[in-house]
Amino acid sequence: MGENLKRVMVIGGGIAGIQASLDLAERNIKVDLIEKNACIGGRMAQLDKTFPTNDCSICILAPKLAECFRHPNITLHILSEVKNLSGQPGNFKVKILKKARYIKEDECINCGLCIEKCPMRVDDEFDMRLRKRRAIYIDYVQGVPSIMTIDRENCLFFTKNACRICEKVCEKEAIDFDQIDEEIELNVGSIIVATGYDIFNPKSIETLGYGRYPNVITALEFERLICASGPLGGHLTRPSDKNDPKKLAFINCVGSRDIKNNPYCSSCCCMYTTKEAMIAFEHDNEIETSIFYIDLRAAGKGFREYIQRGVNNYAIKYIKGKVAKILEDDQRNPLIIYEDISTSQVKQLKFDLVILATTMVPKKDANELAKTLGVKLDNFNFFKGESFHPQKSSKEGIFLCGACREPMDIPNSVIDASGAAAKAAEILMRG
Amino acid sequence: MSYNYFLGCVIPGRLPFIEASARKAFEEIGIKVGDQAKCSCCPDPTGTAQLDHESFLALGARNLCLFEENNSNILSLCSGCTETLKTVKHILDNDNDKKKEINSKLSAIGKNYKGNAEIKHFAEVLYENIDKIKEKVKKPLKDLKVAGHPGCHYLRPSEIINWDDPLNPKTLDELIEAIGADPVDYSLKNDCCGNPVEKSDKDISLSMLENKLQSMREAGADCIVCVCPACYQQFDFNQREVNKKKNTEYNFPVFYITELIDLALGMDTEGLGLNFHRIKVNEILEKIT
Amino acid sequence: MQTVDFEFRNELIKEDFSLNYCYQCGTCSSACPVAFITNGEYNPRKIIEQSLLGLKDLLIKDQKPNVWLCCTCQMCVEECPQNVFLTEIFEKIKNRIVVLGEPYPETYKVQAKSVLENGLAIPLTQPIIRRRDQLGLPKIESANIEEITKLLNATNFEKKINLMGENK
Repeated sequence: MGENLKRVMVIGGGIAGIQASLDLAERNIKVDLIEKNACIGGRMAQLDKTFPTNDCSICILAPKLAECFRHPNITLHILSEVKNLSGQPGNFKVKILKKARYIKEDECINCGLCIEKCPMRVDDEFDMRLRKRRAIYIDYVQGVPSIMTIDRENCLFFTKNACRICEKVCEKEAIDFDQIDEEIELNVGSIIVATGYDIFNPKSIETLGYGRYPNVITALEFERLICASGPLGGHLTRPSDKNDPKKLAFINCVGSRDIKNNPYCSSCCCMYTTKEAMIAFEHDNEIETSIFYIDLRAAGKGFREYIQRGVNNYAIKYIKGKVAKILEDDQRNPLIIYEDISTSQVKQLKFDLVILATTMVPKKDANELAKTLGVKLDNFNFFKGESFHPQKSSKEGIFLCGACREPMDIPNSVIDASGAAAKAAEILMRG
Repeated sequence: MSYNYFLGCVIPGRLPFIEASARKAFEEIGIKVGDQAKCSCCPDPTGTAQLDHESFLALGARNLCLFEENNSNILSLCSGCTETLKTVKHILDNDNDKKKEINSKLSAIGKNYKGNAEIKHFAEVLYENIDKIKEKVKKPLKDLKVAGHPGCHYLRPSEIINWDDPLNPKTLDELIEAIGADPVDYSLKNDCCGNPVEKSDKDISLSMLENKLQSMREAGADCIVCVCPACYQQFDFNQREVNKKKNTEYNFPVFYITELIDLALGMDTEGLGLNFHRIKVNEILEKIT
Repeated sequence: MQTVDFEFRNELIKEDFSLNYCYQCGTCSSACPVAFITNGEYNPRKIIEQSLLGLKDLLIKDQKPNVWLCCTCQMCVEECPQNVFLTEIFEKIKNRIVVLGEPYPETYKVQAKSVLENGLAIPLTQPIIRRRDQLGLPKIESANIEEITKLLNATNFEKKINLMGENK
């Protein structure tokens, strides 16, 4: 046995995975942190600010990212995915497929020259497809590890055997087209799944017009638009005509608490729409915001006070009444038809921009990962935890934390991660 | 699958030209549809159904029995009748107690509901044969901008109707395209025409109609097409009422989809009874010839 | 003063259990075309709320909101996140209005009478029969009136629709 198996694998490099990794590393336990993308950080890196403190998200995340990167007990496996699992708790054998990034990791200094010169334009997933990135790219500017990656599906060299401009301009000669995908086998004592979530696509709710009306967007798209490092550089303009929007509407429960879509509550929307309304007001004091809700679910510590601050200091109008219908006038202004339940009146209101708070849903590949690991999913396809030990998956030695097991906010994900880390460590302490 | 027509009350009793166009369309496409005698009012899902549920089920079940006894399925020309018959079938097939209750009423007239007859809206059958229609088009209705009005009971409640997408229907527009016309996209396509609420409040009914007409005008429609006689009446009879009340000048010719199909299949306008429409259709006929 | 009628509410729930699922979100009112035109005076959410609270008089006697204004477009049913079958519940309320002899729009009674007398909501008149011949349409054999009467006697239809006004 010996030191080799005082190792834990953490699958997923978002805030939950990072926290779990750091907790374990501080106990002198070795961690293999597996991340599918080229950078760790997950959804938290996409956010502008976090509730209830309204701290800048990347500012509070970055120290943890840096710590993960340089901690001697943490080995970062980026562009990696779990392909096969065998063995038993205390001694799992995991096969990882590590995709080639075509960059010499020790040479790249993240200067960005290659990005300037690359001729390809690809939809930027991190920026919710609101702008284009190049075929050679870093997920986001503050990404860790701060090393470039080449997207071989869109790189001219791989698709047409042409270009190679990045290779020519790189002063450190860091481009290496000869790299190949690697399969590595890791031997760990326990595993933590922290793969996070996707957001529900509101296109299927026809009557809200997402996808047809340019000025109806999702909350995550709004985060990118209002973020200083996002496609608009932090100056909010609306998609159709680039005007400054003055009247914003946030619609909660889009696709949530809805038998026809996602029957569960997404847990964060009431808080994050308040947050986004606050940020919008900070950017421009003339912005008027309205939040349409069914119930205001602000159950955490300081959350109710946060909502009250929204009312008192940020002029947010809270309107009880779920919105089912959005139309558009000929200036592409969304027209919301709603019932204000406090007065029973059914009215139409014109807005400049409408933001839909959509459900947190399991990642599309959750099924595949669950099958590979041999763990159960619940009826909503979230990883299934035990009733009294929600961080325990259906398989001994494999633990769950964060939004991959149920929708949760950042503070809860961090708490969850520490819990899973403790449970994972228990396995290693046996015998 | 053999079909017999369920004509309802409104079409044979008030708009017989719609019946004529439907019969001609199915004949031309090669679909044999027979007739069923002794049908009663379906009954009206927006009328009698609201007054007494039991009578609604009894009358509906009796109609279904007639077709069962004849070993045929139902091809309905009216969305309302389709909804009633599908609802009655859905309830009786899924609730054994209710079925026993209704059968005990039916026994008074010597009938017994078994649940063998299937119900289809005529546009369902047309859509299922859309390739045949495309083949037989002789005079495609080119450049005719048609505002398709699928209506409500054609689609909803989707659990019972079980046909097109209840919030974003496509079948009527595809039928319009199949005959060479251009189905316009207008913002209130999926809104109700307002006909059922006329029984309770004519003003509300006309306001709903006006909203639809305005949306159709903004989209540049030449004419309106329906698959339900209640919608047909609302559009053909009441544009004048809207104009009176609101000082507008709406004058859209209104067609049943079968009428446009007949024209596209090259049939002579003479036998179609188009002169019986309240809003004159001459301009449209000129446009397509 | 409004009083809660528990029996009314429980009976409604027994006839349509989906009434229980409503969490008063207002999706139905947002989707309802009549609610929009009447600025919320006709209000599906409110009708369900009052049903849940057993406010029988408001619904049956005062008819506020007026349940007869439902245009049966079923958008509420299609959009409801809890699968409350609103239009079916409205029908149950209307049936009760009829049976309790409370007033409702004449036009419904006119149609009902036609069904009782002719078996059809719209009877075949001579001019129409002539026009049918003109268009080459086959003759229609309508339902046997005795049979319809017998059936509707078994369900007490005539009695029910003649109750309007008896409560005055």
